Amino acid sequence: MDSLQHWWQPFLVGAFDTLIYCVISFPLALLLGLLLCVMKGSRFTWLSTPARIFIEVFRSTPIITQIFLVYYGFGAILVNYNLSQFDNAWVAGILCLGLNYAAYEAEVFRAGFLSVERGQTEAAYSLGFSGGQNFWRIVFPQAIPLMTPPFVNDFIYMLKDSAIISVISGTELTSIMQRATFLSSSNTVPLYLMGLALYLVMSLPISYVARFFERRLRAAL
Amino acid sequence: MEQTVVRPDSEPKPRRWLVMFDYLFYLLLLLAIVGLAYYMYYYLSTPLIVTLTGKLPMVIWVPILLQKTGTTLFISLVSMVLATVFGFIGAAGRLSRFAPFRWLAAIYVEVIRGTPILVQLLFWYFGVAQILSISLNFDPYALIYNFMTLLQSNSVVANIDASLFDAFFWGIIGLSFNYGAYLTEVFRSGVESVDRGQAEAALSLGLNSRQTMRRVILPQALRITLPPLTNYFITLIQDSALLSILGVTELEQQISALAVVQNNSNIKLFIYVFGALYYFVVCFSLALLARFLESRFSKAY
Repeated sequence: MDSLQHWWQPFLVGAFDTLIYCVISFPLALLLGLLLCVMKGSRFTWLSTPARIFIEVFRSTPIITQIFLVYYGFGAILVNYNLSQFDNAWVAGILCLGLNYAAYEAEVFRAGFLSVERGQTEAAYSLGFSGGQNFWRIVFPQAIPLMTPPFVNDFIYMLKDSAIISVISGTELTSIMQRATFLSSSNTVPLYLMGLALYLVMSLPISYVARFFERRLRAAL
Repeated sequence: MEQTVVRPDSEPKPRRWLVMFDYLFYLLLLLAIVGLAYYMYYYLSTPLIVTLTGKLPMVIWVPILLQKTGTTLFISLVSMVLATVFGFIGAAGRLSRFAPFRWLAAIYVEVIRGTPILVQLLFWYFGVAQILSISLNFDPYALIYNFMTLLQSNSVVANIDASLFDAFFWGIIGLSFNYGAYLTEVFRSGVESVDRGQAEAALSLGLNSRQTMRRVILPQALRITLPPLTNYFITLIQDSALLSILGVTELEQQISALAVVQNNSNIKLFIYVFGALYYFVVCFSLALLARFLESRFSKAY
């Protein structure tokens, strides 16, 4: 119990860093995911095939392999080009989380756009809207409420997956927990339980809020 | 006869010069494949790592990776079987009529799903395992060895390194305990998705509640749960890469071990890309197989 008193402040700082990683990576993933979704839906092979390959590759490789690839693989290359200031856990972690989740968000976007009724698009075209106008003014606004619950779920998944940044020695909750347990000479189970509890404190409220909105959405439809 | 129009005629036609990029794309794809083949050929003929046993060319990687793929698949299979057991117990708890069982199962699902699997694995191996081995003298290797002796086949586990077995054991426990929570929800939603009328009909035909569950609801529920089960198996293979943090020598650990000894950063990057693509080939082909099997066996009764 003595170790808990000693470590609770660093743990809170670590939890804050975890949140920062996610808050930066998630918008990145959303933007890239939207781009990928639009590319995948394109009629041009030179746009749709790269997007499809990106999505399949990032969804079927472990995130730990990706983060090793980004941090140790590309990090070693960066030094050759005098870009070693970018060779740190913040850049690698945010890049890896952003790219990985972009692949998932692209599928969420696609499902959201598909669930907007086809008749809406047909009506827009028959009213003389262009493709871009139809997308931004008709389909996109209607899809947003449908896509919000899966986005919130993916944000929670990202919160949990950001623990992987500890393997490239970034400073976030898991790595601080590991440092604490490494330095602790007594029973380490309370420290692990405190780390797990902090993750729960971060993820459970978000998931309850998401479920509440999902229920309201379902009632509204 | 008029054909069904999929796309209304009023939709804007793609511009012709944009379509030209398609041919450019195929050309670039061809060039990329040729380039990769040349790159592979170049490194195939060049010794890459100097080890104690001499020079180790890239040809050696593939058999090593294949062997470690076996380890990864073995870990995933055992974890999946155990996770199914945990999932069944959890689902039975969540559907139980006895409220404390329901609460316990709900806490299990919420806690596991709200925390990272990596932290759970660290908790099991560096927290629980250490405490158990100190206070209760618990040794998973001895446990398994005695169990296999009971089955008169201890030669299977006789030549396993006992110190490596610990991480292996707790890694599998952590993975299956984690996935058990997800499978709990899969099984629960499977049972709940079977129409209420089915149970009512079975009960009114004189089946007792146990027979209703076993003969009417479960067969229908299992058919619904099979697609998510195969999905979870593939994500389980990906998450089993986390066991490399515990020091289990599986595929991910092997890729890192091959890369770490390299001095040339280009080759280092190449190995990581190669490893990621290798994982992709394994997981994606399994996903395709699952999709194929689903389309073949998804016919209802």
